[in-house]
Amino acid sequence: MAKFNNDQVSAAIWIAVGIAVALGALRYGLGPLESPGTGFLPFLAGCAIALLASIGLIQSTLKRRKGTGWTPILRGVLWQKPLLVMAALFAYALLMKPLGFVLCTVLFIGFLLRAVEPQPWSVVLFGAIGTALGAFAIFNLWLKAQLPQGPWGF
Amino acid sequence: MDYMQSIILGFQVALQWNNLLFCFIGVVIGTLVGVLPGLGPVAAISLLLPTTFHLTPVSAIIMLAGIYYGAMYGGSTTSILVNIPGEAASVVTCLDGYQMARKGRAGPALGISAFASFIAGTIGVVGLMLIAPPLAEMALKFGPPEYFALMIMGLTILTFLASGPMWKALLMAAFGLFLGSIGLDGMTASARFTLDIVELSDGVGMVPAVMGLFGISEVLLNVEQSIKRSVFETKIRHLLPTFQDWKDSIGAIFRGTFIGFFLGVLPGGGAVISSFVSYAVEKKVSRTPEKFGAGIIQGVVGPEAANNAATGGAFIPLLTLGIPANAVMAILLGSMMVHGMQPGPMLVQEQPGLFWGAVTSMYIGNVMLLILNLPLIGLWVRILKVPYPILFPLILLFCLIGAYSLNNSVIEVLIMVGFGILGYIFKKFEYEAAPLILALVLGPMLEAALRRSLLLSAGSPLIFFNRPISGVLMLISIFLLAYPLIPWLRRKRAILPQVSDEE
Repeated sequence: MAKFNNDQVSAAIWIAVGIAVALGALRYGLGPLESPGTGFLPFLAGCAIALLASIGLIQSTLKRRKGTGWTPILRGVLWQKPLLVMAALFAYALLMKPLGFVLCTVLFIGFLLRAVEPQPWSVVLFGAIGTALGAFAIFNLWLKAQLPQGPWGF
Repeated sequence: MDYMQSIILGFQVALQWNNLLFCFIGVVIGTLVGVLPGLGPVAAISLLLPTTFHLTPVSAIIMLAGIYYGAMYGGSTTSILVNIPGEAASVVTCLDGYQMARKGRAGPALGISAFASFIAGTIGVVGLMLIAPPLAEMALKFGPPEYFALMIMGLTILTFLASGPMWKALLMAAFGLFLGSIGLDGMTASARFTLDIVELSDGVGMVPAVMGLFGISEVLLNVEQSIKRSVFETKIRHLLPTFQDWKDSIGAIFRGTFIGFFLGVLPGGGAVISSFVSYAVEKKVSRTPEKFGAGIIQGVVGPEAANNAATGGAFIPLLTLGIPANAVMAILLGSMMVHGMQPGPMLVQEQPGLFWGAVTSMYIGNVMLLILNLPLIGLWVRILKVPYPILFPLILLFCLIGAYSLNNSVIEVLIMVGFGILGYIFKKFEYEAAPLILALVLGPMLEAALRRSLLLSAGSPLIFFNRPISGVLMLISIFLLAYPLIPWLRRKRAILPQVSDEE
C-alpha cells in the first residue's frame, strides 16, 4: 500500500500552490487595510488555499491512520485514451493557424475516430471530411466566425 | 409602469419574429444538449456565446436562456430511456424514470415529466415576474458591504451544499478567487499574474474555463471507459398521462416547484441541488417510501419540476442584483456584459424591454418545449443511438471552435485545454469545479466590493457586521461555515483515542 492517500497528496500540492500564490501576491503590494493594494485579494486567496489544504492534510492524515489508503486513479480505466485526446487537443491548438481550420479539423477528427476507438476507414474519412466542411460552412460562412485560414485560404 | 403594462411590453418584444426564432433555436439546442450525455447547458451556452455577438442583446439573452431551461426538459429523456443523466440536474430522474421504462411505462414517464417541467417552468417564470421588480428596488439600497456579504453567502452556500468534504469545496472557491484576480487590477489597472501574456490582461476567460472544466474534462472521463449505452428498446406509447398519473403526481409537482424555485433563487443553489432535495422530500412525505427507486411516478415528477422551477428562480439574483446564482447564470452575466448590459437593480428600470422581453420569452419557450418535446421524442431517441466514439470528437470540435472564436486567439484554446486537463484531475481527486467557476466570476466583483467597503470604513472589517443586511448575510455565512465543524470535532474526539490505541 502506498505511503499516502489521495487527499494527503492533493492537499500537499495545494499547500504549495497556496504559498506560491500568497508569495506572488506580495510582489504586487498588499497596501494598508484602509486602502487595500493590488496584491491584497490574491494574498488572502493564497493564504486561504494553504490554510484549507492544511486542514485537509490533517484530516486525511487522520484518515490514513485509520486505514484509508491510496486509491489508484487509473486502475481499471483505459488511461491511454484520455492521453491521446489531450495530445490531439494540444496539437489542434498549435496547428490550427499554420494548417488552417479545414485541414487541421480533418486531421483532428480523423485521428480521434481512428485512434481512440477505431472506426472503419469509411467512417473515418467521411466523418472527418464531412465534419470539417460542415463546421466550416456553419461557423465560417453562416455565423461569420473568423476561423484560421492557413496557406490554402480555408 | 405597472405589471400589466410590463407584461404587455414583454410580449411585444418576445413575439417579434426574430426573438421567436431565437427562442425556438435556444429551446431546441437546449433540449438536444439536455438529451446528449456529456454536454450540459454550461458547456453549450459557453460554446454558443460567440455566435450571439452579432445578435441584438435581447435576442441573445432569449436564446441563451432557452438553452438553459430547454436542457432541463431534455435531460429527463436520457435519464428515463438510457439510465444516464443527460445533464447533472437529471441524475435523480434516472432512479425511478428508468425503472418506469423497464416496466413498460416509458411513455407516461416521458409525458408526465414534460408536463411537470412545463407547469414548474411556468410557475417559476411567474415567480420571477413577481419577485424580481420589488427585489431590484430593494437592491438599490445595497452598498459595497451588502454586495460583498451577499457574494460571500453565495459562495458559502455553494460550498456547504457541495458533495464531499467542505474544505475541498472552500479550497476550490479560494482558487477560483485567485484565478479571478488574474489580469488588470480593476482599481489601479496594474497587471497581476499575467505572465506577460496579453490575452491574460482581461483576466482568465470564464468561457474557456467553463468549457474546459465541464466539457473537455467530461469527454476525457468518458473516453477512458468504453461506454456501451443501451437505449431502452421499446415502443414508446401513451405519452399522455392518465387521470391516475395526474392524481399521483400533482402534489409532487407543486412541492418540487416550490423547492426548486426557492433553492434556485439562492446564490449557490440551482437545478442540481433542488432536484436532489425534491427527491428526498418526496420520499419523506410518501406513504410508500420503499417504492422509491423501483419506478414510482413521484420520484420522476418531483425532481423534474424542481429543476425546471429552479431555472426561473436562478434568474432573480442575476437580473436584480447582478449576481449569478450558478455557473450557467455566470455565463449569462458574462454574455450580458459582452452586449453592453449591466445586470443589476437598474436593469428593470433602464431596459424594461430587455428585462420583460426575456422573462416573457420564457413563457413562450415553455409552451414551445411542451409542444416540441412529446412529438420529437422519437428523434431524441435516434440521436441517443449515435455511438459515443463518433459523438465525442464533435463535442471537442465545438469546444475548440467556441474557445477560438471568443477572441480569435489560440491562447484561449490552450487555456481551455489546460482547464480541461485540470478538470479531469479534479474529478479524479474528487474536487468539485462549480465553486471554482462561481468564485472565478464573482472574484472581480467581490474584490471591488471588499476594497470599496474597506475604503468606506477606513479599514474596519466591522463594516460588514454593523450594517443590518450585510450583518445578517455574514452571520448566515459564518453559521454555514461553522456547522460542519461540530460533528467534525465530535468525530475528531472519537478518532483520537483510536489513534492512540493503534500507536
